[in-house]
Amino acid sequence: MVQDKTLSNRIVDYINYFLLLVFGLAAVLPFVYVIAVSFTDPVEVAKGGIILFPKKFSLAAYEYIFSTNVLLRSLGVSIYITVVGTIINLVFTSLMAYPLAKTYLRGRQLILMGVLFTMLFSGGLIPTYFVVKAVGLTNTLWSLMIPSAISGFNLIVLKNFFQSIPEGLEDSAKIDGCNDFGVLLRIVIPLSMPAMATFALFYAVGHWNTFFSAIIYINDNKLWPVQVLLREVVIMAQSRIGDTEMDEAMIQPLTIRMAVIVFATLPILLVYPFLQKHFAKGVLLGSVKG
Amino acid sequence: MRSSKWLSLICVLILTVGTIAACSSGSSNNQNDQSSKQSQQQNSTSNQAGNGQQAAPADEKPFHITLAVSQVDEIPPQDSEIQLAIQEYTNTTLDIQWIPGSAYADKINVMIAADEMPMAMRVTYTPAIISSIQSGLFWEIGPYLDQFPNLSAQNPQYYENIKVDGKLYGIPQYRDIGRAALIFRKDWLEKLGMNVPKTVDEYYNVARAMVSDDPDGDGQNNTYGFLLHKNFFSGSAAASTRLAVSLGAPNKWAVDENGKFTPEFEHPVHLEVLKMFRKLYQEGAINQDFAAVDESEVLKIFDASRAGLRVAVAQNAGSMQSRVLQTDPNAVFDVEPLTGPMGIRVSGELGNNGFFVFPKSKVKTEEDLLKILTFFDKLLDEDMNTLQRRGILNKHYEETADGKHKWLDFDLFQREVKPYRDMLLNMEGYKILPLQDTPIAEKAQKIAEDNTKYTVPNPALTLTSPTYSERGGELDQLMTDAMIKFVMGNIDEAGYQAEIQKWRSMGGDKIIQEYEAEYAKMGK
Repeated sequence: MVQDKTLSNRIVDYINYFLLLVFGLAAVLPFVYVIAVSFTDPVEVAKGGIILFPKKFSLAAYEYIFSTNVLLRSLGVSIYITVVGTIINLVFTSLMAYPLAKTYLRGRQLILMGVLFTMLFSGGLIPTYFVVKAVGLTNTLWSLMIPSAISGFNLIVLKNFFQSIPEGLEDSAKIDGCNDFGVLLRIVIPLSMPAMATFALFYAVGHWNTFFSAIIYINDNKLWPVQVLLREVVIMAQSRIGDTEMDEAMIQPLTIRMAVIVFATLPILLVYPFLQKHFAKGVLLGSVKG
Repeated sequence: MRSSKWLSLICVLILTVGTIAACSSGSSNNQNDQSSKQSQQQNSTSNQAGNGQQAAPADEKPFHITLAVSQVDEIPPQDSEIQLAIQEYTNTTLDIQWIPGSAYADKINVMIAADEMPMAMRVTYTPAIISSIQSGLFWEIGPYLDQFPNLSAQNPQYYENIKVDGKLYGIPQYRDIGRAALIFRKDWLEKLGMNVPKTVDEYYNVARAMVSDDPDGDGQNNTYGFLLHKNFFSGSAAASTRLAVSLGAPNKWAVDENGKFTPEFEHPVHLEVLKMFRKLYQEGAINQDFAAVDESEVLKIFDASRAGLRVAVAQNAGSMQSRVLQTDPNAVFDVEPLTGPMGIRVSGELGNNGFFVFPKSKVKTEEDLLKILTFFDKLLDEDMNTLQRRGILNKHYEETADGKHKWLDFDLFQREVKPYRDMLLNMEGYKILPLQDTPIAEKAQKIAEDNTKYTVPNPALTLTSPTYSERGGELDQLMTDAMIKFVMGNIDEAGYQAEIQKWRSMGGDKIIQEYEAEYAKMGK
């Protein structure tokens, strides 16, 4: 039964709209600024002031950053480690979580304790580096994907998710002649799509943001992901002022920094909406009744 | 059927990924191919430097040197014109690894721990590196120095500043020692009828006048004298230290004839300077939000022609002048050495932006070490020095009729040559023709060179203090915060003195003791 909106209801509504608008703008405006500056003529930007719409449209910044193929190559590297890395993550995390979800597994408690331990303590940078080096992964892209293949936190959450799937389903699948792998692939994973999509997003964003591991493990600058370049162009340029560098004239103009930011953020921004519909759907779906 | 489709999909993925991995791990092989290609190129005809250096005689193969340096903007390719020219002149093949500045210290630590160091590695003078040096990982090069004409011709202070336990373990990337200067708006001073300030009171008067007496004549109160920022009081090149030194304070530490150490902030002149800023702040003559603002933000106000006094590196004057002209074509900056009641006094700085060390594990024989030192020595020869600081003749610069160099394409220089200039060895004013530039830039360069005579060194620069290595950062932050609070008026003078006492009790006293002990050991 739709109630007629009383005055006080309407006022509350308007206040809500207003607050939402304010918060929405506060979130969006900085990004609009970044995009606008990247498309503005550099001389206009040097004059200062806030720019929300390019006063003088110019592609100079983009021409500059695409004049060498460094940025495109690093984008390729980033996409590669995000896609392949996430696939590796999902495969291995689910392969480990599924057996651990079975309470009759021998040694289960021990393994879970081990996982918990790694979440609390870590070996430190240099011992980890030695391990990666001993396995021969240094200076390859695998060093960014394999050592971090399974995140302890995600593993435990996924295990709990698998545990919540009713045994009846798995039993009936077994009766129909499925082996364990089949149950995993045909029953459990399709039912866990919302969880998988969520983890895919977490892992993907984590891979997209890789920069520190890349610097430490990879010496070949052709293999650096886009975040390393982004950091150099935007942050190091700023912090170099007042440093012992002789000439401060090489600080990248604001437009170029903004262009690199747009370039580095755009892909992940485009991917978000597609994944969002998966886990939004999953949240609404209840589990199987009965 | 579906599961086999999944399985085959996974297999295909693994296969593709495997092949790509084979390609990427083959990249290290590519590097070796590249360097052998380069040495082949070496021996064939290639006269890029245009200085008539023929290919090396058949019995002397180019010496291969691996280097690790800090990344400067974009990384140049290994076969860039500049690198090929350097290799040809010095008869070497170079393998330069550029490490991003954002994780530089961590990466160097990892490289040292895993023994993956190159033959020449650029490091900075930090406690971690000092202890690596003390553990004997690197060659001591002090005794070899006089075999090299260019290296030994430099001012000994450069080498003094990077000694560990009194011994020299590396070659510094030379930077001017006395580069601080006062950059100010000359047209404003003329309009206000004032002179370049030389005492605390004069600084106050000039800064005040620039704010309230409308020096740009636009009828609005929108101009500033001094502009502070959040790093004004911090770091080894703090602007507050530079200013205070010129007026009589010590450079970070004072040591008297009994070997007693006193920190700069206990010196009366330093307090005078702080009090001056405090007064200016209270009167609204300083940007009220300075504690939250980066220096880059503050620079924009100078560029917008709305600020008039800056204590900075002298060579900044040239770029500040060209930037402000974009907004205000009549603006005139000038630069003068920092002068006080005792004449010109310039706080001596590090004199380097890091230094190269040579790991014994990679430089196995003394012969190899000498070859590497020869390489560095040759970088200071006129041809190489000019190549690094000017680029290629008629591409980046040209020679003028009166024997100077003039920029043809400065932006191209910045992109192609600057990384080498900033990371290798070169020296302005040594075996190189002067640069013809705007008058203010030439004046600034001359000031930076002349200032070496007037520098006041920091006596604690090469002394090690375990307490400082452990807690120095914390203690420095404490004092910086105290200074900022004092200037902003959040604490009064008594409160500031209390902070100094806190600094002392939290470790300052121990640091002083340790410095005094080290100093006595040096027998100076």
